Amino acid sequence: MISKRHLEVLMHKILFLFGSVFVLSVLVFYVSRLAPGDPLVSYYGERAEKMSPEEREWAENKLGLNDSIHVQYIRWLQNAFQGDFGISYKYKMDVTEVIGGRIGNTLILGGIGFVLIFVLALALGILCAWQEDKLADRVICRIGTITSCIPEFWLSLAGILIFATALRWLPSSGAYSIGKENSLADRVWHLILPLSVVVLSHLWYYAYMIRNRLLEEVRAEYVLLARMKGLCRRQVLFGHCLRNAMPAYFSLMALSVPHVLGGTYIVETVFSYPGIGTLTYESARYQDYNLLMLLSLLTGMIVISCNMLAQAVSERIDPRLRMDDRRNYEEVDRI
Amino acid sequence: MRDGFRVVGIRQTTEPPVSVSGSRRQGKPVVSVLVLLLLAVGCLTCDVFVQRNPSYLDLAHSCVAPNREFVFGTDTMGRDIFSMIWYGGRISLGIGLVSTFIATAMAVVLGAVSGCASRRMDGVIMRAVDILLSVPSLLVVILLQAVLGKAGVLSMSLVIGMTGWMSMSKVIRTEVRQIKNSGYVTASRCMGGGFFHILWHHLAPDFLSSVMFMVIMSVRTAIVSESTLSFMGIGLPVEIISWGSMLSLAEQALAGRAWWMILIPGIFLVTTLVCLTNLGNCLRRRVTARHSNL
Repeated sequence: MISKRHLEVLMHKILFLFGSVFVLSVLVFYVSRLAPGDPLVSYYGERAEKMSPEEREWAENKLGLNDSIHVQYIRWLQNAFQGDFGISYKYKMDVTEVIGGRIGNTLILGGIGFVLIFVLALALGILCAWQEDKLADRVICRIGTITSCIPEFWLSLAGILIFATALRWLPSSGAYSIGKENSLADRVWHLILPLSVVVLSHLWYYAYMIRNRLLEEVRAEYVLLARMKGLCRRQVLFGHCLRNAMPAYFSLMALSVPHVLGGTYIVETVFSYPGIGTLTYESARYQDYNLLMLLSLLTGMIVISCNMLAQAVSERIDPRLRMDDRRNYEEVDRI
Repeated sequence: MRDGFRVVGIRQTTEPPVSVSGSRRQGKPVVSVLVLLLLAVGCLTCDVFVQRNPSYLDLAHSCVAPNREFVFGTDTMGRDIFSMIWYGGRISLGIGLVSTFIATAMAVVLGAVSGCASRRMDGVIMRAVDILLSVPSLLVVILLQAVLGKAGVLSMSLVIGMTGWMSMSKVIRTEVRQIKNSGYVTASRCMGGGFFHILWHHLAPDFLSSVMFMVIMSVRTAIVSESTLSFMGIGLPVEIISWGSMLSLAEQALAGRAWWMILIPGIFLVTTLVCLTNLGNCLRRRVTARHSNL
């Protein structure tokens, strides 16, 4: 049942989301324009360097770059409210189109990576907790610590070096071979290396978290009681401990979305994978303002909403975490 | 009467042996600390045992595979990788330490202020931190770098330090809040303990262990950031030798199949990171001190 208070909390959250996106947009807008660099180079390429002052002025006028930043920002805001985010200087298309063409690739890489991390980390964590301090646990912990320490970009490089350059098993860059855009097998073949890097570099962090959570859990008194009642280890671990650990894991996974996304961006850049990570890097380096703006807002929105989701999940589990103590008591009373 | 009772259902557990030889070292990362020390000493004293100038471009011997003369080979610009590793290590480790110092200082100040402030103030600070966390750090790095001028060792540490304090300050704030509301602080205050007395005798010992863990992890993150940024071409330029900027020649190395140019700096980098992680993990509070009930 949705009560008035729930609605209030929801409104509060939505307001916060919009507020942060607004602040973020101001920050990114001013920061990107104050940073040195010539946006005309990204629009006109090499020609921009040979332009006469009059031509430059004309070009800047055309792109609306010679007004003061405040004017530019207000104009951008007005257009954005009508769904017009401007054109990309490099691709000379609507930024929404540019991003629309690329975001699918990132969602595939990041999405599959995220699901794999989620499932594999859980499996590994349970395995380690089950085998606590036995050989399997120790070996996995050692290997896991090492893999989680390798920076993504170097893991990608080593992967390319071994599997693409030396063994020639897998392609070293891109999302598909030229002329085979629609072949699923070809796409999967290109996805193997980047996907393994994304999964490997994040997997252990989360597996270790769930392992430690479970180890804490099996030291609780209720486990002793359950064992005394005659339940076997498997029943206790899966039926009781895992159940208690899962909610925290969900909240952790919500928090992990931005991390995995950031990792995906780096991996994309190394593999020249046509996703929004490569696009963000390009647009930030070459002053493609409008593109950069929308990409930052998109990333920021994902990060903020995931944080809010994580907070909501952990508040549901443990109402003591609520910021406002007074409301907290009401909540507890009602439950 | 006493003979009539018998204890049933007791769980026989053997006490973990305390003073078995070698147990003092158990769980302590001796190897990691030794390796780290070795690396640090090697980087600091490399003037003594490194004969070649790391930035000398020996174009006659460019891209030579490891052999007796060039132990780790040379890169595409003809520089000796063995000497670059040690001189570059100075910069990589130095940036890690300096930026951690900056990040920790900022995190401790803001986290402590936020933890002790009124609820409204605390909310404002934490929301601001949330927003800062959601700005793509790549963008912040490019801007800060632009403001600070040409990328150098100091500006790089400053940039990494200034982008790395947010999550640490959140942890410190939570820690301060938790401790501040706990019974023993109230008790100490009731007995007339002043602010600094409480801070020094009660708060600091309690959150030092978690802060130490965060600090070690922050050194790790800073080294990773430096190498990633330099690799992508927005950090240190190729002339300033660090483990990251050595890897920025990776594209040419891949084209020339020069595996040593990628693997050797990477192995040094990863070894350092693994040792730091082991050290950090041992500082963390132990969960497995008690016996498992399972």
